[in-house]
Amino acid sequence: MPNSTSAMPRRSLWLRLRPLLALYGAALLFVGVSFLLTFLLQRFFPYPFLFFFFGAVMASAWFGGTGPGLLSVVLSTVLVDYFFVPPFNSFSVSPSAEAYFGAFVACAVVASWVSSSKKQTEQALVQARNDLELRVSERTAALMQTQGELAHLSRMLSMAELTASVVHEIGQPLTGVVTNAQACLEWLSSGAPNVEKARRSADGIVRDSTRAVMVLERIRSLFRKSPPEKEWLNINDIIAEMMVLVRDEARRRNVQIHILLEQSLPPVRVDRVQIQQVILNLVVNAMDAVNESVAEDKRIFLMSRKNRHDELVIRVEDCGVGLPAELREKMFEPFFTTKPHGIGVGLSITRSIVEAHKGQITAGPRPQGGTIVEFTLPFHAEDTDD
Amino acid sequence: MTDSDMVFVIDDDESVRDAVTNLLEAVNLRAQAFASTEEFFRRGRPETSCCLVLDLQLPGTTGLQFQQSLRRAQIEVPIVFITAYGDIPTAMRAVKAGAIEFLTKPFQKEDLLSAVYRGLEKDRAYLQNCAENATMQSRFADLTNREIEVMNLVTEGLSNKEIAWKLDLSEPTVKIHRSRVMQKMQAGSLPELVRMADRLRQTSRQ
Repeated sequence: MPNSTSAMPRRSLWLRLRPLLALYGAALLFVGVSFLLTFLLQRFFPYPFLFFFFGAVMASAWFGGTGPGLLSVVLSTVLVDYFFVPPFNSFSVSPSAEAYFGAFVACAVVASWVSSSKKQTEQALVQARNDLELRVSERTAALMQTQGELAHLSRMLSMAELTASVVHEIGQPLTGVVTNAQACLEWLSSGAPNVEKARRSADGIVRDSTRAVMVLERIRSLFRKSPPEKEWLNINDIIAEMMVLVRDEARRRNVQIHILLEQSLPPVRVDRVQIQQVILNLVVNAMDAVNESVAEDKRIFLMSRKNRHDELVIRVEDCGVGLPAELREKMFEPFFTTKPHGIGVGLSITRSIVEAHKGQITAGPRPQGGTIVEFTLPFHAEDTDD
Repeated sequence: MTDSDMVFVIDDDESVRDAVTNLLEAVNLRAQAFASTEEFFRRGRPETSCCLVLDLQLPGTTGLQFQQSLRRAQIEVPIVFITAYGDIPTAMRAVKAGAIEFLTKPFQKEDLLSAVYRGLEKDRAYLQNCAENATMQSRFADLTNREIEVMNLVTEGLSNKEIAWKLDLSEPTVKIHRSRVMQKMQAGSLPELVRMADRLRQTSRQ
């Protein structure tokens, strides 16, 4: 251990110096190369051909910064003075060449300065861009998490509205279980036990408890905070599963839901929970719309079909009072709500889910009164990459 | 329990409908299940004693609305309500409108059966009452107009003398009419005749 600690500073000093030395070395190399080129080409020109030195200065300053840039300026000046400015092979400068030499030195210094500061700006820009990218990706991740949480929250809120419905959907099969179990005991405990009837009662228990478990499973998947998981699914199955949770709420509110599903639709690659959330939101909204409406018509239509652009179209129509056009434009925006206790996240999340599935959601007036909301889901695999 | 007892189960949910019917059959009650109130309405109530186990939340008409429409159609039948989410106001309304019991699903066997037995008991009493009313009415139909007048005045507490004066008859004639009334109505005493008259007035008012 003591050995390694004493060795560390020396090693790190070397590590720090090495790139610096490489940069100065590069400056020497650039100047050397330009000296060689100039030396070879000089015989073809009647005046000192010094442009390669500018190149060497600019390159040294560009790659090495101010230090190597100045080094190459000094070196170039010395070499030019000795070899290319009359009198040749001497450090003295003839009066006729003084202006020329002075201009060269000045230009070399300026070139070095321009080049190194340009380089610095460039580096600062790259740095800023990288920082920005990092921050954007961090923000995006945070936003996506927030969005996920909001979606989860909104699901819970939608589910909260359906509590009574859920209680009913679980209460029904549980009643079946309890009552069948008691009947089973009765069949067995009488003087002459009726085994056949008891067996049928037990069958009923199995059937009803399976049904209760399926309802629970469906609710739990809606409450689960899981990352989106896309699978190939039939939209009509998703709708049917969702209807189990809402049909009783509809009955309680005296709303009739008419379901018109086109048969043999192609499967779509979607996240089941998210699409169920979309349908749930739209149907609950539609129920609210007809609930508020004074009209007797308390119908909702839920339809699925295929359009000519290889998309599924899911449409929810309500026979409510409808929304004015200016509100309809805003309804998918965050925090827009017409409900006294709403927080206005449902539809904006609905839209972001649909868009994450490369679909579109639109709302329009229903000619006979009410609102039509429909969304599309493209069913081509390449359109729905993750 | 008599063999004529019949329990009708109306629930749109197959699980509940089948299970309740199964339980009732297991305790030797005759039971018949319906998925909707319309089905039951078409069948109508039997002449024999029966009871209705009715789901409160049915598609279309609710249980309470069905209770009302039975009343309007003058179909008297005891109802045991079953519901997945009972709230007190609805239960109050149901019981005030004459429901036997209001049970929240899932319910205990004892609660359901005791309610059903009470319902059947009530229906038997109702049927007996109906039968008595019918006999009484057929006896009453045998009375002549004069006898009806006498019966009305007697049951209002008037003496023979007052009746004779009011109807412009002799007292012995009133006595004859009065004994004919007692005979035809098969009343053993004046208080019994008064009760009969009350009942006749009630049934004619209904």
